[in-house]
Amino acid sequence: MSAPQPTTLSDRIQQIPRHYVYLLLAGVVVWQLLFPIRLPITPSVPTRGVYDAVAAVPDDKLIIITTDWDASTQAETGPQTQAVIHACFQNHKKFVIMNLQPPMGVKLAQDLAQEAAQEYGAVYGVDYANWGYKYGYENVLMAMAKNIPNAIGDDFYGKPVGELPLMQGVQDIHDIGLVVIVTGLSAMTEMWVGLIQGPYNTPLAAAYTAVMAPIYYPYLDSNQLKGMLVGAKGAAELEAMVDRPGKAVAIMNVQSWAHVLIIALIIVGNLGYLFARGRGGGRQP
Amino acid sequence: MNPDLYILWAAAIATLGVYTILYRENPISRLFEHIFVGLSAGYLIVATWTLNLEGKWWNPMIQDKKWYWIFAPIVGALFYFIYSRRLGWLARLIMGLFFGTAAGTFFRQFFPIYSPQIYACFKPLDYQAGMGLQGVIFELVLHNWIFVIILLTVMSYFFFSIPHEGRFGRNLGRSAMLGRWFLMIAFGAMFGNTVMARISLFIGRMQFLLKDWLGSLLPWFAGRGI
Amino acid sequence: MWFSRLLQRLFPPAPTPAALYLYLALAVVGSIVIIVALHRLLGLRGRRWLIAFVTFIAGLFFGLEYFYPVHGDPGKNFLSDWIEPVSVMLTVVGAFTVGLGIYSLLQVHGRNLARRRPGWHNSLAFFLATFAMLVFGLWEHYLHLPQPPPEVVPWPKGIYEILFNGLFAPLQAATFSLLAFYIASAAYRAFRVRTGEAALMMAAAFIVMIGQVPVGAWLTSFIPADSPAAFFRLEMLGEWVLRWLNTPAQRGIIFGIAVGALAMSLRIWLSLERGTFFSEQS
Repeated sequence: MSAPQPTTLSDRIQQIPRHYVYLLLAGVVVWQLLFPIRLPITPSVPTRGVYDAVAAVPDDKLIIITTDWDASTQAETGPQTQAVIHACFQNHKKFVIMNLQPPMGVKLAQDLAQEAAQEYGAVYGVDYANWGYKYGYENVLMAMAKNIPNAIGDDFYGKPVGELPLMQGVQDIHDIGLVVIVTGLSAMTEMWVGLIQGPYNTPLAAAYTAVMAPIYYPYLDSNQLKGMLVGAKGAAELEAMVDRPGKAVAIMNVQSWAHVLIIALIIVGNLGYLFARGRGGGRQP
Repeated sequence: MNPDLYILWAAAIATLGVYTILYRENPISRLFEHIFVGLSAGYLIVATWTLNLEGKWWNPMIQDKKWYWIFAPIVGALFYFIYSRRLGWLARLIMGLFFGTAAGTFFRQFFPIYSPQIYACFKPLDYQAGMGLQGVIFELVLHNWIFVIILLTVMSYFFFSIPHEGRFGRNLGRSAMLGRWFLMIAFGAMFGNTVMARISLFIGRMQFLLKDWLGSLLPWFAGRGI
Repeated sequence: MWFSRLLQRLFPPAPTPAALYLYLALAVVGSIVIIVALHRLLGLRGRRWLIAFVTFIAGLFFGLEYFYPVHGDPGKNFLSDWIEPVSVMLTVVGAFTVGLGIYSLLQVHGRNLARRRPGWHNSLAFFLATFAMLVFGLWEHYLHLPQPPPEVVPWPKGIYEILFNGLFAPLQAATFSLLAFYIASAAYRAFRVRTGEAALMMAAAFIVMIGQVPVGAWLTSFIPADSPAAFFRLEMLGEWVLRWLNTPAQRGIIFGIAVGALAMSLRIWLSLERGTFFSEQS
């Protein structure tokens, strides 16, 4: 049975066909991508925390960037990972990429690292490496805390990690100076905090999709996280800090007007509802 | 072989194929859904073997002759008895091992995760007492009061086992109602961030379609700074 | 430790390839014998007891190692040296579960294909995609290409890149990007301010949505950043809502979840939980 046709103005306002809403959204996005209105982006305190945490890592320690994301969140976590990698290279810090779930993340992150490495003349195995996807969640972390080469095994390319030059002298968690969690999955942070940051005082920073970020503000407040990137906004802020404006900055320009559209749609829908209530009716199904 | 052009066109066709579902359910989007599931299954097997089993199990067992690693697939194979009605208890045996591990691991993590959270709840509330201490300024103390009030009222909302009757219960009920209001603010913030996240995903795809794909066909798109 | 020395005596590496295969065969046969014996000798109560025992020991090992007093530098107790090998063993055992989900998928799509059900061609596409990714993924791995890879790559690597970067990643990204349209439509249709709480939620949502984007900062850029009124700049207001209103509420939720998770973990560890998995009926 099809929905009754809207008859009054308030009904029509509340029942704009969804295809028009889709077209409006697509139109705003395409308009801003092709004819952007560029506005300045100022780094926030949580984003500065991430950059400062990377810069503060001692030269003899490694940074672990855990890329627990896949193509479903790539628009946010991809630029975040790229910005963190740039921050590591610019501060001359050695880093490794790894991933606990899902497997796709390490390949996508490796492509980003390779691209950045060409810019800085960095060499795989000497300046950065990729430990790959490691199945086992907490078991991997508990094993890593005691013995990293045994826990990790082979790198992304099938070579034992112990044979990589940047792994010389890296035995256990005490040789790690910072862990940056880049993820779109919940529960990863709790694992790292509970098994690595808490027991061993290893500094931890994070980059989340915007959906998850509000949940992890308490960890910033308790100083369990040194800093946090919030979605594409955090990525854009870090891109601005490392002076590599990229996809995230472009996304934020578009995001502004998309948010204005969403707010306008909500207001329009509520105006229709108010008018209908004033008439003594309500929202039609 | 330079696969870049094929990658570009395959990605564009796949993206547009999925977007056909916005008009209505159709065979094209369904086909691409099934292709995606198939690729995902295949990649999971490849990643599990190449990044985990080969280095940590096969090489130690065959190359280093550590024959006891054969027990790993034997124990792992117990999971597959879940498909057998008679031998299903063997699957529950190995699952019990992993559930126990998860429980024990949670006990390990509990204090490192939550004790700093509890500690961070105790914020300085007395400006006079804190005057002169670094960082304790009036605005901060005001914010700390707001923080503690919201925290306590939200926690009182979750005391479902205490009825909202009697003097204490009624006060708890008022506190819980206030907590619910503050929870609405938090959910509103989460909704705002959710909208930002979802829109970002679409913008990312449009960046690809306009800059990378159309930009390869029409230089005007490539020069837009997308 | 005496226990590690005992294990090294019982399970030394095989001396020759022939001995390796003999030990492997004996281990497989011995394991099957043990499993069959357990199945025949243990009744319902015995099986339940064994499952509860294994669950308890697994939890006890990891929990006890954390809580047992440590000595020396670095602090260790009698269980600490076992954490790494046991954890590595569990990751390898767990990796073999990859087949569970794959088997279900193969079963469902295989049936569609065999019985030529409507949409069987989609199941055929599923199998072709799985097989292609499997073959070219493994082929690419065993090419052992140099790092960084050359611009012109062997054709199996090219096919793999097309499957991964041309199909797999874009399909996933496009599927999840549909959520943008759905949330726009849902926000327009369903977000109605019927109560004061809904109004509060909407106000917080608007402040955060506008405060997080550059246009919000631009709208209130006329307020000097170092003035007392800077609090009302939208980006500051948005950050304030997240930092001082959202954070304590989320912490209250976290505490509630923590207590519930602890209680649940205790119940599972002590095998007190009942339900579809935990009881015999399945």
